[in-house]
Amino acid sequence: MSATLVSTVPLPHPPVESQNVLANENKGLSQSIPTPQVQPPPDAIAIPDKQVKQKPQTKPAPPNNAKKKPVEEAKNNEVPYGEGGPVSSMYSNAGTNFAMGNTKGGISMGQGGDFGSRYAWYVDAVRRKISENWLQYQIDPHTPAGKKTFLVFEINRDGSPSSVKVEQSSGIPSLDQSAMRALQRIDTFGPLPGGYSGNKVSVEFWFEK
Amino acid sequence: MGFGMLRRFAVSALLFLACLPLAAQTDWIRTGTNLGVEKVRLAVPDFKSGPGGESLATAFNTTLWNDLYQAGLFDLVSKSFNPAQPGQRSEVQLAQWGAPPPNASMLAFGNLNVANNQVVVQGWLYDVKNPQSPQVLGKQYTDAATVENARLIAHKFADEIIFRLGGGIAGIAESKIYFISNRTGHKEVWVMDYDGSNQHPITHIGSIVLSPRASPDGSRIAFSWVGQSWEIGIYSTELQRLVAFPRFGGTNSAPAFSSDGTKLAFSSSRTGDPEIYTVDAATGGNMKRLTNMKGPDTSPTWNPKTNAQIAFVSGRSGLPQIYTMDVDGANVTRMSDQGYAISPSWSPNGQFLVFAWIRHYGPGAPGAQDIYIMDVASHQWVQLTHDGGRNDFPSWAPDGRHIVFQSSRTGRDEIWSMLADGSQETQLTNNGSNSMPNWSAK
Repeated sequence: MSATLVSTVPLPHPPVESQNVLANENKGLSQSIPTPQVQPPPDAIAIPDKQVKQKPQTKPAPPNNAKKKPVEEAKNNEVPYGEGGPVSSMYSNAGTNFAMGNTKGGISMGQGGDFGSRYAWYVDAVRRKISENWLQYQIDPHTPAGKKTFLVFEINRDGSPSSVKVEQSSGIPSLDQSAMRALQRIDTFGPLPGGYSGNKVSVEFWFEK
Repeated sequence: MGFGMLRRFAVSALLFLACLPLAAQTDWIRTGTNLGVEKVRLAVPDFKSGPGGESLATAFNTTLWNDLYQAGLFDLVSKSFNPAQPGQRSEVQLAQWGAPPPNASMLAFGNLNVANNQVVVQGWLYDVKNPQSPQVLGKQYTDAATVENARLIAHKFADEIIFRLGGGIAGIAESKIYFISNRTGHKEVWVMDYDGSNQHPITHIGSIVLSPRASPDGSRIAFSWVGQSWEIGIYSTELQRLVAFPRFGGTNSAPAFSSDGTKLAFSSSRTGDPEIYTVDAATGGNMKRLTNMKGPDTSPTWNPKTNAQIAFVSGRSGLPQIYTMDVDGANVTRMSDQGYAISPSWSPNGQFLVFAWIRHYGPGAPGAQDIYIMDVASHQWVQLTHDGGRNDFPSWAPDGRHIVFQSSRTGRDEIWSMLADGSQETQLTNNGSNSMPNWSAK
C-alpha cells in the first residue's frame, strides 16, 4: 500500500458567471473612437512595384435574369460615442419613475385615459405604497443589474388590488416573486379619487433590480 | 492570490455580511408598520381666521399641526418657510410653494370663521406638483363655536389628509386611549384622546380596577376588578354602569376582546392554576379552556386580522415567555427565546407582536425592561425603547403605525406613545400614576 502526498486537492473551479460582452443583448454604453488613419505626405512618390504578370481575364458569366433581392440594411444599433444611457423602457415616458436604494421601478396607470395626470397624487400614493411593501432582501443578491419584472393589476373602486399578473417575467424567479408578494401584502391603496367616474383603474408596474 | 488580497477579500465579505441584516431589519419593520421609507413633504400654513375666531383658530392650527406631525407620514415644512398664508383657493400660488425653501409637494390650507356662535372651517389639500388639477381634497365643517369643537374639526381634517396620502389607512386622530389612573384615590378606568388631551374617568367603582380593554365598537370596557375576589367586569359606556357578567371562581384577569367583538379571552385560576379561557363576550357563556399546562398562563391577545390565533404569556418553562396558539389551543409555539417577556399585543395587520421584555434577567444582569417588536412569521425582533426605566403594557393603535405604552422613565408610571419604529416618543400623562393603556380599535 502506498500513499501519494499531494500539495493541493484539485477542486473544480467555481462556476463564475461572466457577462459575455459579445453576445450581450444590451447596447454598449460606450464605444471607442476609431484611431484616425495616418495619411502619407502628398509629395511622396510610390516605389514601383515588382511587375506581376496579369492573368488573362475569364469570360464574364451570362447575366442573371432573376431579380436581385433587395438587401436588407442592417439596423444601426450603435450608440454614438458619449451618448449612452439607461435602456429605454416602454413605460418610462408615460408614467412615473422612481429609484430606491440600488433598485428602480416605474408605474403607469389608466391606459388611454388621463388618470395619471389628473390624479397624480393618487398615482404617487400607489407608487409609495408598493415601493414600501417591496422587500428587497427577498431578491437573489446575484441578480444582475437591469433585470425587470413587469406586473399588471387593477385597483377597484374601494382601493383593493385585484387580478395581479406578471406581464413579463424578469427571468429571475426571486425578483418576480418579491414583486408579486409586495402586491399581496397590500390590502388597500385607499378608495379611488372621488371625481373619477370609472369603477376600476388598471396599473402597470415595473420593478428593476 | 497573495495573503493581503485574501485578507482584503475576507474583510469586505465580512463587511457585506454585517451590513445585510441591518438593512433587511429596517426594511421589514418600516414596511410592516405602514410607516414607509419616504415621507411626503407637506406645507401647513396656519388657517386664516376671521374676527372673533382667533382663540379657536389657535386651537385648530395647533391640533392640525400636531396630528399631521404625529402621523409619522409627513415631512412638515417649517412654518418659517411659508411664503404666504392663503385662506382661499384664489390666494394660492403653487409656484412659490413648490420652489425652495418650502419645496412642498402638498399644501393644506383654509380658513376658520365664527358667526352666530357657529364655527365654519373650510380646508383644502392641494397637489403642488400638479398645477392642472391641484385639488386633492376640499372640505367644509360647521359646528358650535367651542375650542373643543375646533380641535375635533382639526382631527377630522387631519384624518382626511392622512387617509388620502397614507395609502387608505384611516388616521387615528379621533381614536381614544383607555388606561388606569389612581388620581381619584382609587384605581379606575380613564380615557383620553390619542394625543393626551381631554382626560377623564369612566368608572367610579371605588375598588381596584386593572387591565382595561375596550370592545371593538367602544360600547363596552372589560377589565379585572376586586369584587368578592378578582373578577371580570364589563362596563357599558352607554349605560354608564357595570353590566351583569358571570363569576367564574378563582382569580380572573386580563380580559381581551376578539376583533369582531364576539369572544372574550381571559385568564382564570378556577381550577387552581391560571389558564386561558374563552367565553362569548355578550353573555359570558360557552366557556372553553385553551391551555392545560402546569405553570401560569395569562395575558391573552387575539390576532385581530384572523381571530384564529391567540398570543399569551406562560410560565410553563420557568420565567414568563411569549407563546402563540390557535384558538382551539393547538399549535403552541414559543416566540421569545430568553429572559422575562410579558404583555403581548398583536398588530392590526397580524404581522407583529409587541411586548415588554427583560432580555437579560437575574442577579447581575442589567435588567432594563423595554418594548420589543417581533415579526410573528420569522421571529425577528427589534428593540423599540432604550431610555431605561421600566416599560410595559404596549398596545397597538388601529392604524398599525403607533404604539402606546407605560414607562417609569420619569420616576413615575406614565403613559407614552411612539411610532411603531420606536421614534417620536411622546409623554401623554403627567398627573398621578397612570398605567395599562389600551388603544381603542377605531
